[in-house]
Amino acid sequence: MAVSANLLAVPVAAPLLTAALILLFARWGGRRRIRHQIALTTLALCLNLAATAILFQATAGRGERFVLQLGDWSAPFGITFYGDGLSATLLLLTALVALAVYPFAVATIDYHRDRMGFHPLYLFLLMGVNGAFLSGDLFNLYVFFEVLLMASFVLLTIGAQPAQTNSGIRYVVLNLLASTIFLIAAGVAYGTLGTLNMAQIAQRLTMASPAVRTVFAGLLLVSFGSKAAIFPLFFWLPASYHTPPPAVTALFGGLLTKVGIYTLFRSFTLFFPELLVSWQPILLTISGATMLVGALGALAQPGIRRVLSFHIISHVGFMLMGLAVAQSGNRLAVGFGLGAAVIYLCHHMIIKTALIMAGGAVELHMGSDRLASIGGLVTRQPLLAFLFFMSAISLAGVPPFSGFVSKLSLLQITLDTRHWFVSGISLFASLLTMINMMRLWRESFWGDYNRPSRVPVRILQSRIRQQLMLTPVAVLVLLSLALGIWGGPAFQLSMKVAQQALDREAYIEAVSPSSPISTPGAEQPLVSLQAYFSDHPKAISGMTARPLLESR
Amino acid sequence: MPELYLRLLNRILTPILLLLAFYLLFRGHNLPGGGFIAGLMAASAIQLQILSRGHRRVRRTFGPYLNNGIGLGLAVAICAGFAGLLEGTFFKGIWFNLDLPLMASIKLGTPVVFDLGVFLVVASFTTSYLLGLSRVSDTAAHRRDEAASRSGYSTAGPDQADRGVATGTRAES
Repeated sequence: MAVSANLLAVPVAAPLLTAALILLFARWGGRRRIRHQIALTTLALCLNLAATAILFQATAGRGERFVLQLGDWSAPFGITFYGDGLSATLLLLTALVALAVYPFAVATIDYHRDRMGFHPLYLFLLMGVNGAFLSGDLFNLYVFFEVLLMASFVLLTIGAQPAQTNSGIRYVVLNLLASTIFLIAAGVAYGTLGTLNMAQIAQRLTMASPAVRTVFAGLLLVSFGSKAAIFPLFFWLPASYHTPPPAVTALFGGLLTKVGIYTLFRSFTLFFPELLVSWQPILLTISGATMLVGALGALAQPGIRRVLSFHIISHVGFMLMGLAVAQSGNRLAVGFGLGAAVIYLCHHMIIKTALIMAGGAVELHMGSDRLASIGGLVTRQPLLAFLFFMSAISLAGVPPFSGFVSKLSLLQITLDTRHWFVSGISLFASLLTMINMMRLWRESFWGDYNRPSRVPVRILQSRIRQQLMLTPVAVLVLLSLALGIWGGPAFQLSMKVAQQALDREAYIEAVSPSSPISTPGAEQPLVSLQAYFSDHPKAISGMTARPLLESR
Repeated sequence: MPELYLRLLNRILTPILLLLAFYLLFRGHNLPGGGFIAGLMAASAIQLQILSRGHRRVRRTFGPYLNNGIGLGLAVAICAGFAGLLEGTFFKGIWFNLDLPLMASIKLGTPVVFDLGVFLVVASFTTSYLLGLSRVSDTAAHRRDEAASRSGYSTAGPDQADRGVATGTRAES
């Protein structure tokens, strides 16, 4: 089946069009209009899943690459969408997570949020995430970052509880700071390289001076790392994830940090593959610290959702560790580390979402998620207890679930490349994860039945809502089980994805086949820089200016 | 009374602003201008109405349709993108000449439709933002007056009362 590149537009256009239609007809339909919104949203989510599945089959399965130049404007001038195995994998998992969280959200979101536009916001968030995975130039990446930041900020603060507003402000300020740093990085790229198209940046960076490369890489590492919640930059995540309704936390936990991870993967494989070797100590240190801080921080947390949000940070460290060893397989195929990171990413997105939803169900049953005051739910909700247990041991890495396969492959590559210290830390973090998961399960399900809140929960008295809450968790746990059982084929697929992502010549080739080295836009900033320096001869004595000019 | 001057100014400026917005909108696909700036200009005309006639009257006129305007604009813009699929690529511009009897021919195409969508989104969004701001400043001024007179009379409009009930229902879930 031939797949057209226009398919790349669907993950962005379908949520946007549906959200627009919902807004357009929001006034009509009386009391049934929420139902119409739910039906439309479900339709868009299914369409998105179908499109991304076709895309995944074509890219990861058959090794194709798709480039969509919007409006047929060629690469450096128009908007470029690029889809290869890595982006298609993330798109498919995003579609899965979004579709899985949606029934849970429908069952648990209150009428006030329904009326305030929860459903179109859900779609806008999905559109922002999808667009970030697809965009082929830095400026549109920034735009989609902002789309998803604004949508998630409103989803976080809608309802206007004081705690929500507090966490929302911390979330948006820290994320805007990261966006600003990213904008500065884009400015550096445009000022020194004369382009924002990612393929052209990759092309021209090989000729740029080391100072430019280092500054650009450092700025990108800080901004994307902050989006991904790596070690010293993760503070926005635990500050905000425990305040919105559980459905929103599940969506955020499944999607948001993965955008940062994807952009880190993409920028390091495409722009600076050699920095994966020379900066390896830095990346490994950051990943070790992230794993350790996340797991240790989770030990100290009093509530289910706080524990789980610290575990997201710990897992980001694991994925970063895979990226750090991506170029250094001495006797294995290059890209083993990245392949392991990709399969870890799949495992993490699936099971983290399931676990946050199960934890959210516990919270809704108990009226609180403070571990000290709840307990004994196993007799009242045996199915929930079972599902929670299954996802918890999958997260901790017990076979036959996906956690085992992904952790094993990551450990294998770090041991093979003789990074003993980091592999030790990752084992220790896994042990801490296991302890934490058992703590969560024991505190919330074992012991005497103890429900701190006296307020009856209305939404749990309806049988269909209970089913809507638990079915997606069950589906995700089954997916994790399947990923664990068919670990071999899944790993081969993710290796293919990783090798495709590491092949930067093919990326450049696909986006701009004619590869115009000197376009008019490229010359202009450099010419004006030279004019500036000839007018201001003293400025040339600055350390950074000289190599920039000599590199031409 | 400053509103008198604003009302006089309003009668002169509003048609000019709207005409200028229209002009910028339909030259934007080739020349400086376009949907975004035309939308801002139309919204500034509406802001002039808010200043001169008070936000309540403007809200009665435009308020109920603003969300629909945003939705309609987004839908129109994205449909202009889908029209490009007829020529093979998403967002590809399709152009045709419209021959008018008196003037020369006008070039029209899907980018104009896209600009129209952007115009609707920007104008509706900015208007709803301005109306929200004017309500906030209005209630703040009201509270000041209230504190000054110490009347103790409740000024919570239907919106505030509504929000209070809704947050109350949230607390139990």
